[in-house]
Amino acid sequence: MQIVIERPGLMSTIQDMGRWEHLSQGVPRSGVMDVLSARIANLAVGNEPDAAVIEFTYGDARLRTETDILIAYSGDGATLFVDSERLPSDRPIYLAAGSYITLVNNPAGCRTYLAIAGGWDVPEVLGSRSTYMPAAFGGFQGRALQAGDVLHAGSTLSGIARQLCHRLRTATSSYSSWGIARWRLLPSDRRLIRVIPAREFTWFEGKSVVDFLSSPYTVSPTCNRMGYHLNGAPIGRLFARELLSTAVMPGTIQVTGDGRLILLMADSQTTGGYPRIAQVAAVDMPLCGQLKPGDSVYFREISRMEAEKLYLQQERLLTRLAVAITTKLTAVFS
Amino acid sequence: MDIQTQTNDGFTIYSLSEFAVAIEFAPDISTDTLERITRFNALLCHSPFDGFRTTVPAYTTLSIFFDPVVVIQSPRLHGINCFERVAGFLKGLNRGGSTPALSTASPIAIPVCYGGVSGPDLNEVARSIGMTPDEVIQLHSTAVYHVYMVGFTPGFAYLGGMPGELSSPRKSTPRGTVPAGSIGIAGKQTGIYSLESPGGWQIIGRTPLRLFDANNAQPTLLKAGDRVVFKVITECR
Repeated sequence: MQIVIERPGLMSTIQDMGRWEHLSQGVPRSGVMDVLSARIANLAVGNEPDAAVIEFTYGDARLRTETDILIAYSGDGATLFVDSERLPSDRPIYLAAGSYITLVNNPAGCRTYLAIAGGWDVPEVLGSRSTYMPAAFGGFQGRALQAGDVLHAGSTLSGIARQLCHRLRTATSSYSSWGIARWRLLPSDRRLIRVIPAREFTWFEGKSVVDFLSSPYTVSPTCNRMGYHLNGAPIGRLFARELLSTAVMPGTIQVTGDGRLILLMADSQTTGGYPRIAQVAAVDMPLCGQLKPGDSVYFREISRMEAEKLYLQQERLLTRLAVAITTKLTAVFS
Repeated sequence: MDIQTQTNDGFTIYSLSEFAVAIEFAPDISTDTLERITRFNALLCHSPFDGFRTTVPAYTTLSIFFDPVVVIQSPRLHGINCFERVAGFLKGLNRGGSTPALSTASPIAIPVCYGGVSGPDLNEVARSIGMTPDEVIQLHSTAVYHVYMVGFTPGFAYLGGMPGELSSPRKSTPRGTVPAGSIGIAGKQTGIYSLESPGGWQIIGRTPLRLFDANNAQPTLLKAGDRVVFKVITECR
């Protein structure tokens, strides 16, 4: 399976679930900004959760299929069209060779994930296929996709992917009657981000902590895959104490010297010296991955225990979903 | 509030996220703390728990990353949540583990071309501390340094052990780009830029060695706990 990038869009990179092994050497985790959407796209084509996907930022991209392909997309940055036909998200789609896919901006969010059966085939670098652009390695030649790039899928298809190809094969385009209800895995209020108080939570003034947990914070134009600056009520410090640099990670909310918040994201550096006020609950990081400059959010405190419970619950749901898809397809074919 | 901490002879464990905890060994930087962190890190990597992913050593902390799904299901870990399970394991390891011998390898030698285009701030540093550039080079290249931490960018090594006389403040305006291999001074620290990046350290020299190579299975030249010496070279590129 193979496609050509005709128009890459604002920033499109190959990502997977990131690289963990070299954090101690300062190599960021990287990987997809919205883990949930990427996993759902992979699930829908029978891939492993960590198969490489394309992460598109907003719409305005165009691709051509060079062979028949089995794909799925998920996320909130764009809607996919083939000619004038709108393709549904969160389900397997079969497209014949010679189709033109257009990504049209979706105002709901920022990032969209395109999975292909077999996963996008780029070399693993330091244990991951994720692109880390600041050091120009991983993904497709260490860079964002450009017009003319030819991308192909891994040749090993799962049993599910083979069955889906068999069922959906057509001369034009077709998709399954079922889809994955992504919204059911997301909180109903998408502007409320749950956070766990972090180690230096008590370093800040009482009023500032109240502001942090009750007033809106807006994503500034200074935002990228490394992190977002947030504008809102400034956070005052109780002491002038300095923090010795220590590990930080995606989801860590730091407070700069002038009292502004930085939310670290996928390409976050591995260590940092700003005091940490909170850590975003892992289950709400996909919401953060969809934020655009100008979007406002509120933070609400939950306990570490509750955050862990929510995370484990979501993992169980995703496992059950994978089983349900397998069962559905086996039932039809047995 | 629910920031869990537990203390146990000489260290504190606290939660970082659903995926990670940190051990704080001491409040301040010292070679003793560095050695304890390096030893504990080696011990943990040698006998990890179920679900263990990786560690990040820093000045006074060792952060430990894990997969919560594996941790919560492991029959070998005990506790009602991942924090209890991992913290329990770490305390046990601290009590019972025989610490592996630290590497006694000789320091890693880093060739450095001091001054000129390789070290544009050498003269300014010398002036600000009342020395000649040659005296700065002499002092900087005779000390033995410890790698406390690798962070900021892949392979960037924070070194402790610089002679106090060389302390100089950061540049008031950071440079837009500092070339890879540049040796900088910031306050009491010295460090090596692993990639071309913006930076505010005073640049006194540059090494031709590659500090970071993504195509190498061991991508960085230095890791926390290593010892380093600088060797003066005059053949500069």
